[in-house]
Amino acid sequence: MSGTKGATRTKDTSGIVITGTGVITAAGTGPGPVLDAMLSGTTLFADRPEHAWLPWPLADMGLPGIPWPEGDTWANNQKYASATAHAAVAAARLALAEAGGAENHEEAIRCGTVVATGMGGGDELTEVIPKLAVKAETDPRPLAKLLYDEVPDYTYLRGIPSQIGQFVCMAAGFLGSNLAMYGESGASGLGTLAAAMRLLRAGELDRVLVVGVQPPLSAIVLAALDSEEAIGTNAGSGAGPFDLDRAGILLGEGAAALMVERAEVARARGARVVAEVAACETLCAADRTSALDGAVSAVLEEAGRRPDLWWAHGSGSVASDLDECRTVGRFAAGVPVTSSKGTIGNTFECAGLIDVVLAIEALDRELVPPVGLLRKPDPALGELDFVHGAARPVARTGSALVTTFGPTPRSTTGGAAMLTRGSQ
Amino acid sequence: MTNEKHGHGADVVITGMGVVTPNAGSVESFWEANLTGRSGLSYERRMDLSQLPCGWVAGIIPDDIKKSVEDRAGAPGRSWTDMLLHATVDEALRDARVEGPLDRPAGLLWSRVSPGPSGTFPEEYVAYMETVAARYKELGDDRAATLRRLRAERAERVEQAARTGRSASDSASSADAAEATTFPNAVARRLGTPLVTMGLEATCAGGLRAIAEAARLLRTGRIGLAVVAASVSRNTHYVLSQYGQLMALSRWKGAAEQASMPFDSRRSGMVINESSAALVLETAEHARRRGVDTVHAVIDGWGLAVDISHVTAPRIDTVERVVRGALAHAGVAPDDIDTVNAHGTSTRLNDITEARALHRVFGRRMREIDVCAVKSLTGHGSAASGVVESTVAALTLCRGVVPPVVTCTEPDPKCDVRTSLTPVERPVDTVLKNSFGFGGQYASMVFRRPPNPRPAPATSGAEH
Repeated sequence: MSGTKGATRTKDTSGIVITGTGVITAAGTGPGPVLDAMLSGTTLFADRPEHAWLPWPLADMGLPGIPWPEGDTWANNQKYASATAHAAVAAARLALAEAGGAENHEEAIRCGTVVATGMGGGDELTEVIPKLAVKAETDPRPLAKLLYDEVPDYTYLRGIPSQIGQFVCMAAGFLGSNLAMYGESGASGLGTLAAAMRLLRAGELDRVLVVGVQPPLSAIVLAALDSEEAIGTNAGSGAGPFDLDRAGILLGEGAAALMVERAEVARARGARVVAEVAACETLCAADRTSALDGAVSAVLEEAGRRPDLWWAHGSGSVASDLDECRTVGRFAAGVPVTSSKGTIGNTFECAGLIDVVLAIEALDRELVPPVGLLRKPDPALGELDFVHGAARPVARTGSALVTTFGPTPRSTTGGAAMLTRGSQ
Repeated sequence: MTNEKHGHGADVVITGMGVVTPNAGSVESFWEANLTGRSGLSYERRMDLSQLPCGWVAGIIPDDIKKSVEDRAGAPGRSWTDMLLHATVDEALRDARVEGPLDRPAGLLWSRVSPGPSGTFPEEYVAYMETVAARYKELGDDRAATLRRLRAERAERVEQAARTGRSASDSASSADAAEATTFPNAVARRLGTPLVTMGLEATCAGGLRAIAEAARLLRTGRIGLAVVAASVSRNTHYVLSQYGQLMALSRWKGAAEQASMPFDSRRSGMVINESSAALVLETAEHARRRGVDTVHAVIDGWGLAVDISHVTAPRIDTVERVVRGALAHAGVAPDDIDTVNAHGTSTRLNDITEARALHRVFGRRMREIDVCAVKSLTGHGSAASGVVESTVAALTLCRGVVPPVVTCTEPDPKCDVRTSLTPVERPVDTVLKNSFGFGGQYASMVFRRPPNPRPAPATSGAEH
């Protein structure tokens, strides 16, 4: 990556546009099926035999069925690809099918990726380590030698977040930059979008493929998460976000990819613009409400307009929904509010990125879909216009506010983004 | 060199630094170690590595420095890698004379490399394996029962934590998913302002990458100052066994302090260490307004690249591209670079690849360019190395000395890199710094001598 002397301190207001999206959730691929499910009130917390060990409902993305690209190079490298990498590459390829990859070296070195990842890894090791731990009790070899001999040689590289980004770059033909961000700072993926926008506005890169993945959570992570705040055990009516009877987050899995670029780059290469990101910001503060307040204030000021639709984090946690509504409520009086988490669950690391794509889809259809599993809005959340029952109209030319909290209950990070469909 | 497109006020500068390495517990002590060639490497005695094909030497933080870190940065429930972050951030903030509450948002860009719930220290890894074995013998592959057990164990730790003030984490030394959130929160509280945060990963290029992310963020004007920090502690049976499989570790069997020898013809691999460093970055104008009149270095530009041809091996073309990218971004020519602070890992492949790329960029001038390689004394600290070594780059500029590479006693003619066995005193206006890593990661940065360099303290040399 090489740019002009990047000392432009004047605020660069050149528009950042999205030219391709990829979403994989329990609803399948693309944002359409999620919107359809929300509109029809369908729940995607399926009872499957593979989940029988979990005491919580789960909206899973069907990971074993997600394909790996064909060809020798991909086959040779597949052993280094974790489940997370499989989902990341699949989501990236959906976005690339819409936006196109790099066509030559000159273009490639000005394109890169930012990947949101972190929580839930280590599943490769959970297959191997327990058996080796038992073996180590009687094996004559020193522990380090035993592991050297017995752990498959791809395991370590599989666990490295940069490895995911390298695969995404392989899929895109990108050579400019590879960065991974952990959810503790990513505010469920919006932090990666904000980082990508800084790379673009500084002129260092022309295009960034932002990718987020939430793979199946390992047992140890689930146990830790549940101990912080009880995970929701019921995915029936009334268990959804903002409901009086909500009782904890509902588990989801997913992956999302967004191709973002400067508007003039998209224009010059004749790319179709899906939406414009008017502003995106994530902040960490002493507490999560201060963080979210700061992020929302900043994006509304930068966007210079009020939202017509608020796509909330709305996790279904009693405390989190309360904190979010009290914080964002003052900016969103009279704005219809929805959330995806009663339909596809909380996809933690990439929840914000998925919601960005869903909000764009909603503007495209001119419909704000109702909140899944919301029966009776909680009056403690304030005078907010929660969409439940029927969908609500929204203008195609309107703007959407997306808000997020960090992925765990103790996280004190909040994020916000303002989106429009631009002039399309 | 000119800086025509903006005044000095817009320069991103380093105003504070903090370091903990196997050979030093503070910046001044670290600089002295670099000049005198004091090594932090020793044979690993805490676990039996004798049957591994490599990797018997390690860069472990000695007990006296460890105790000083615990005294300065220990807190109930705080992991060792977080203590390292806090200790170095504290030194950097003091050095920069930053005190909260700040009146504007700040940035926090950090990388923490630790093996997670399996522990940071060998004895923790052994305990972890014993726990896993006991659980597996009883519960086998019954996932529901295993989850029930993990929840019960967790509940017990939470209850214990509430009673004793200790960590509820799965390991005393490693942050888990929950505790990972506490570092940025603590910094936000200390600085009394919201933070734009990036907890980032770019393998061994992560530290330099974090500096680039911070500098870019400062140039947007969104934040007033940024804290960059990176720590690593991961010398366990598992990590060494995996680096051993990659044949990436030193096979040296002589004196431990010779095991890491960048650009030496006998080099056979890297030595992995535990270490940490932190920087305070702000614009020159911001520093001046705070009354901070002298600074360590100007961050002039950087290059970033990803290679997609191989998962671990570096490529000459890509090193050349990222170095040229850094020069272009800084607006300087190869002739403007005075010295190189190399990635120099001591692996066969890295050092020859880096050297050949430098020859391509600098041509005949390579004969005149003094190259330093800090890993010769510290070993390799993954993401932390980029930040640790940037403190040396800054002091090279301020003090006008290029540190020696004391382990490069038989320079590899194939590398043909000019290193010295003694400090080279010379004016230095620019330093080029490289960091590369697995996953196709490449970063390079140009540091420039500020017009107002920070003078050496009147009495130097804290003990560590």
